[in-house]
Amino acid sequence: MPYLARRLLHGIALLLGVTFVSFLLMVYFGPDKTYDLVGKNPTPQQIGEVRHELGYDRPFLQRYGDYLRQLLTLDLGLSDSSGEPVSAMLERSVPVSLALVLPGFVLGNLLGLAFAMLAAWYRGSWLDKLITSASVVGMSISFLIIIIALQVLLCTPYGLNLFPVRGWKVEGLASYLYYVTVPTLALVLVTLGYNTRYYRAIVTTEAERDHVRTLRAFGASPVEIMFRHVLKNSLIPILTRVMFSVPLVFVSGSLLLESYFGIPGIGQVTFNAITSDDQPVLKAVVGLTGVLFALALSVNDLLYTKVDPRLTER
Amino acid sequence: MTGTAWQRLRDNGPGIAGLCIVLVFALVAVCAWSGLLGQGWAQVTGGRWESAGPDHWFGTNLLGQDILARTLQGAANAIETGLIVTVFSIFLGAALGALSGWSGRGWPDELVLWIAGVLDSIPFYLFAAAVAYALQGHEWSMHVAMIVTFWTTTARIVRGEVMRIKSREFVEAARAMGLNGFTIVLRHVLPNTLHILVVQATITFVAAIKTEVILSFLGLGVKDGVSWGLMLAESSQEVLAGHFGNFLAASISLFLLLMGFNLLADALQDALDTGKVIR
Repeated sequence: MPYLARRLLHGIALLLGVTFVSFLLMVYFGPDKTYDLVGKNPTPQQIGEVRHELGYDRPFLQRYGDYLRQLLTLDLGLSDSSGEPVSAMLERSVPVSLALVLPGFVLGNLLGLAFAMLAAWYRGSWLDKLITSASVVGMSISFLIIIIALQVLLCTPYGLNLFPVRGWKVEGLASYLYYVTVPTLALVLVTLGYNTRYYRAIVTTEAERDHVRTLRAFGASPVEIMFRHVLKNSLIPILTRVMFSVPLVFVSGSLLLESYFGIPGIGQVTFNAITSDDQPVLKAVVGLTGVLFALALSVNDLLYTKVDPRLTER
Repeated sequence: MTGTAWQRLRDNGPGIAGLCIVLVFALVAVCAWSGLLGQGWAQVTGGRWESAGPDHWFGTNLLGQDILARTLQGAANAIETGLIVTVFSIFLGAALGALSGWSGRGWPDELVLWIAGVLDSIPFYLFAAAVAYALQGHEWSMHVAMIVTFWTTTARIVRGEVMRIKSREFVEAARAMGLNGFTIVLRHVLPNTLHILVVQATITFVAAIKTEVILSFLGLGVKDGVSWGLMLAESSQEVLAGHFGNFLAASISLFLLLMGFNLLADALQDALDTGKVIR
């Protein structure tokens, strides 16, 4: 089978698996909602009607098919707690989360890569040791601690008191920076340790290859060696990590940041849905992020073939 | 673990420091379970937000409960969660990884890789929320969510190693002697992946403790007991009013324990020469 067809098949299998797990957990095994919806002292007939409306009387596979159709057409029903269409809630909150998480995500990866290249170039020196130890320290601090500590240090009278404790009223660049700085710092700090360590492992392996040693012996400049030769050849694992972490950072990152800083993005929507058992919202968020992840993986595979054309020949 | 590995670990200063930290916390946990330490964590023994003093070494919280007792009990809870999650997910990872690697490119391999891929595709906190929802907030739903998702990395690494070992001569010899596949894997292949399992266990432990704290903060983890995550959740309001007792106690203990485990994990990787496991 040609490479692309095989990757496509894998992508579809992944998509079906992810949606199936969320269907099983959120819809099939989830709590029975009949008695939340029927009135007091319902007749068996009323119960039957509600169950029919919820689709509980339909066969298993048909219900899974319904769930798939809902996800694909973005016809996600109404929120249990606010009565608002779930798709409208997502439309409103996803851009906020993107604006919130993107700077920290980009910075965390770029800084991690920069530190990794420094450590690899000066491998074994005090600088390398400093960077490696600092990243272990970074890996040992919980996201929650970083958020609370930064909030105390930057947003309260007990520290510098420069930024808001909560909220998100973005009307321009200045107000954007005002609200986004502390969450960005938190996200950079929590991801930097892991990123640096991961990238350092990749870059050092590449920097020890024979052609790099030869280049060094011939006196090529560090910048040229690192960017033109080492970085270029490490691109596949780096791209993979970035692509893999996009959905995870956006969902998990925004979940904590937004519930903590009171920012009306997808994380807060999800947090509220968790605390109030809002099934339509939860099943939409879980299903859609799974779908996005599977798509990201497929795009990743396509990028691979661009970076390394040999893959298509196998 | 072989003799040389132990010697290499002993010569690794940070690794030994990590091991000592972990052992101290384990001792605290044992004492808390056996009723020697951290008792009365739920009782009101003082006033609201008392500062540190001879009666309450770390002060008291909003309700007047002793923060020291709660911190010690929180340590026991962290160790307990870490142990349960680590034991089950390493076992699952070893079993499925061995199955996958041994069957090599057959349908069991495809199936295991597919399941692992699917589980890795769902953002973890959402998966935990979904499991809590399906189990209707059962107190074990947090452990189930972690075990079900944390085995995948171990399985992938074990799979690769089993594939490598499978082509070695001693496996061929065992096969020529007429041993069946199950016996070969159990007696000859899996023991050779022990170094991977030891390192993965320390890494899984770190992940479990970190995750427990965040899940408890989100209301998806420990509900009735005490946990550093719950202490941090309480402290998120308190720090704004200038009471740092809960926050400092929980965050410093959490940092120490995680640091200890990370140092130990690194030292074990060097000592057992597994190559840095990329996370």
